Amino acid sequence: MPPAPPRSLAELFLGFLSIGARSFGGVMPWAHRVMVEERRWMTEADFAETVGLCQFLPGPNIGNASIVLGKRWFGLAGALVAFLGLMALPFVWVMALGLLYADFSSNATVRAAVTGVGAAGGGLFIGTAIKLARVLVRKPAALALVAGCFIAVGIARVSLLIVLPAAALVALHLAGEKQL
Amino acid sequence: MILLELALYFGMLSLIAFGGMPAVMSEMQRLVVDVNEWMSAAEFIQLFAVAQAAPGPNVLIVGLIGWKVAGLAGALVALGAVCGPAAVLAWWVAGLWDRFKDSPWRMRIQRALAPLVVGLIFSGGYVIATPGAPDWRLWLIAAISAAILLLSKLNPLWAIAAGAVLGGALL
Repeated sequence: MPPAPPRSLAELFLGFLSIGARSFGGVMPWAHRVMVEERRWMTEADFAETVGLCQFLPGPNIGNASIVLGKRWFGLAGALVAFLGLMALPFVWVMALGLLYADFSSNATVRAAVTGVGAAGGGLFIGTAIKLARVLVRKPAALALVAGCFIAVGIARVSLLIVLPAAALVALHLAGEKQL
Repeated sequence: MILLELALYFGMLSLIAFGGMPAVMSEMQRLVVDVNEWMSAAEFIQLFAVAQAAPGPNVLIVGLIGWKVAGLAGALVALGAVCGPAAVLAWWVAGLWDRFKDSPWRMRIQRALAPLVVGLIFSGGYVIATPGAPDWRLWLIAAISAAILLLSKLNPLWAIAAGAVLGGALL
């Protein structure tokens, strides 16, 4: 049976609800499981194309994906329903966990464990960046831009509103010269 | 008017978050900790940790920040602001995307953005794992976690769990 879009707003809502509710350790793998494997709303290629678009756009990637897909299937109502379905349960989970943590944060061991989780999350960012950097290693200009952005934003703490336009101009120029 | 400030700062972040939330995490920390002094760097890493440990999109840290600053209304306003402008943009661009699938400028923008996103995600990881003077224990936890992601096929949740255990033991 070929993939078919959700038939109703209710089905769309429940699908995104189950993505949000289960997405421990990253949302994209769960989005793939629900929409491509379980509910068969879209093909593998469709999914990859949508993710590509949402990584290109600014903002939370999966939030944008819910807007793009909801719009494609049911227009404005679909975009709203998919977005709210995605966010509803995670919002409750995170707020509940936050309140729970506020109660226990005076305990030094709890605070230490939670800080450790934060450092581990930072490490996941660094691992992700290394993964993404693998395709850039043969391009000296790209590595220089990586280093420049890191020094400006991570070390010198210059505002992104200054760094991003400046770096983008340089990068677009280099990309035009086939150096990226 | 604190809600208006939340809306403005996070609405602005929404539109410069190329590469998703990880790419603006260092800017978010700068705005929240250095510019507005809504919390300390140590509190920021803890809210970030709570958002990492719960299921759902990593953008939800913004809800926690809003909550800390202005309660439930703050949470909703901050989250709406960080998702809204990007969502409106996604709405308008979705149709154009297919039409320009193979256009050279789209490829050029994508190639140009790639190294910037990598540098910014590095910055986010570094800033989060360095909430004060450099601390080898936090860097060790971060390094182990990055290694788990890069060298194994384990769910990243295992890296989070390892961070909790090591944090409890070392810090």
